[in-house]
Amino acid sequence: MRLDSIAVRLIAASMAWTVIVLPLAGYLIYQLYRADVQESFDSQLQKLVTAITVDSMAEGASSPLPPPNRYEPLFEFTHSGWYWQIQPIDGQGGPTLRSASLATAALPSPLQLGYPPDPDTNMRWRNDVGPDGRSVRIVEVINTLGHEDGKPRYSIIVAGPSAWLEASVATFRTRLSLALAVAGLALLALMVFQIRFGLAPLQRVEQALAQIRSGEASRLEGDVPAEIEPLRDELNALIQSNEDIVERARTQVGNLAHGLKTPLAVITNEARSAKGPLGAKVVEQAQIMSDQVQHYLERARIAARVGVVGRVTSVRDVVDPLVRALERIHADKAIRISVQCPPAAMFQGEKHDLEEMLGNLLDNACKWSKERVRLSVETAPAPTRTGRRRLKITIEDDGPGLNADQRARIGKRGLRLDETKPGSGLGLSIVIDLAQSYRGGLTLTEAPLGGLKASLDLPAI
Amino acid sequence: MRILVVEDDADLNRQLVVALSDAGYAVDAAMDGEEAYYLGDTEPYDLIVLDIGLPKMDGISILEQWRRSDKKFPVIILTARDRWSDKVQGIDAGADDYLAKPFHMEELLARARAQLRRATGHAKSEIECGSVRLDTNSARVTCDGEPIKLTSHEFRLLAYLMHHRGRVVSRTELVEHLYDQDFDRDSNTIEVFIGRLRKKIPADIIETVRGLGYRITAEDDAS
Repeated sequence: MRLDSIAVRLIAASMAWTVIVLPLAGYLIYQLYRADVQESFDSQLQKLVTAITVDSMAEGASSPLPPPNRYEPLFEFTHSGWYWQIQPIDGQGGPTLRSASLATAALPSPLQLGYPPDPDTNMRWRNDVGPDGRSVRIVEVINTLGHEDGKPRYSIIVAGPSAWLEASVATFRTRLSLALAVAGLALLALMVFQIRFGLAPLQRVEQALAQIRSGEASRLEGDVPAEIEPLRDELNALIQSNEDIVERARTQVGNLAHGLKTPLAVITNEARSAKGPLGAKVVEQAQIMSDQVQHYLERARIAARVGVVGRVTSVRDVVDPLVRALERIHADKAIRISVQCPPAAMFQGEKHDLEEMLGNLLDNACKWSKERVRLSVETAPAPTRTGRRRLKITIEDDGPGLNADQRARIGKRGLRLDETKPGSGLGLSIVIDLAQSYRGGLTLTEAPLGGLKASLDLPAI
Repeated sequence: MRILVVEDDADLNRQLVVALSDAGYAVDAAMDGEEAYYLGDTEPYDLIVLDIGLPKMDGISILEQWRRSDKKFPVIILTARDRWSDKVQGIDAGADDYLAKPFHMEELLARARAQLRRATGHAKSEIECGSVRLDTNSARVTCDGEPIKLTSHEFRLLAYLMHHRGRVVSRTELVEHLYDQDFDRDSNTIEVFIGRLRKKIPADIIETVRGLGYRITAEDDAS
């Protein structure tokens, strides 16, 4: 996947979101939870201190009554973390009372330490370290016996283990982080899926484009998302206009070439009847022009359908009319053209091109043969790993054939091995050009019949 | 032998007519499809050289119509369209040969000779009747190996009879096949030419079949 792809951009943006939003949310939840736990802990301490105050500051007593131990069993266990203490603060009013859990230790009074009271409840809060060495939260109420003014004041303190609070919050934090991490990962996975799903039409468009390039399709067809519809329409219009341009160019090259042929024939004939060096020169140059016209006409045909390999042609449908025509053209030689061609043999390419290749090869074979021409077609799996099947077409004749040197020279444009037989000399080079444009080839060897054996290698279906 | 040249390019048409006339054929020319169709339909040609791209009516349709009305003369298609599909289409429409432009006039003449021989059932380029031998390639006549000088009309007459040797050829047929349509046709001239021919080759080779016409005997049919 490339870094500048839309998918990567979307995933990166989502990731950034997740990385920013999830921890922020986690922090917020953590703070809320912490405040909530703190509040409920504080309210428990508050309840306890209120109850102890009510119980101990009984009206009419000369000194505070030890509160009955019905609030918190842990007040009884030494260094349990839960403590209470009732201490006179004005130097009179009896001894200091303490919960059993405090043992001999004392809790310093926040009042004496200078903590201000909470304006709503008039209580003082403080965090400290308890006699057990763990942190405690302390709440203090200042009161008098019977709640009467002028009596000695007492500091009533309740302490609870805030270490437990911290531990609880820490556990929550761990769980929260874990849950958020899982949620984050799940979100990311979902986003990747969502982006993939959302971009799937683009991928289909990409495949369709590849098909157009490989010639399997000529248009961008099928349903596309609304956003891509204008793109599809524009693209199809572009393909159409491109085709039109190619077609126009091809037609014009064709018209030019065909238009030149008649004047060339006229010039050549005129020059041939004129004696002298001028006539000979004109004939020679007209021949060159004619070869050029022929060559570029062929090139234009080949170029016009480069990339169009999606067409399929039945070999049989091409061979039969060609054989029929050639037997007629060469009727005076009474040539037997034997054809061995499975009906299922399919050429992956344009009909015209196969016609040109087979027509030229068969025509050559007929021109040179004495009486027999043999054409055989077979499809074979490709030797390459692509697994595409290949079409093997061989055309043999019983004529004089060619020696190795001649076979090597053949195929050069305009080269004619024998000037006595008619022909433009372009036949084989056109066959080679065409075969190569299909990533195939032509090989010439000696035929068992005695003449030339031309073997075409072409893509099959 | 009478040939129709159908070609819409005036220069090429003229060249074809000249070349074929020089080769000893009676030649008519047509410049457009309708004229070509009419001539082919009404005149007894021995060969037609037909361009495909024609004004008014294209060559393929003309050819198909001729073949539908059972015209048997050989047709050589002459066209710039030289793809094999075009050739196959032309042959399937009833053409006997196909020549792509630009072409060498010699090649057209060779193809024309081949078609004329084939149409009259001669496989070889030389036709022999007794001591007289006609070489269609070089348009030369020999008698016992000695070349015989003939005027173009004498040659046309002898060549036609030799191509159709063994068959009685009427005077009308000779007139129709030896002269182009513009020629002043007087069947008496045929008798004049027969008379001259008989002085140049052994007289008994051309036999007069009273009331029917002339015949060159094919007793020496070894070829």
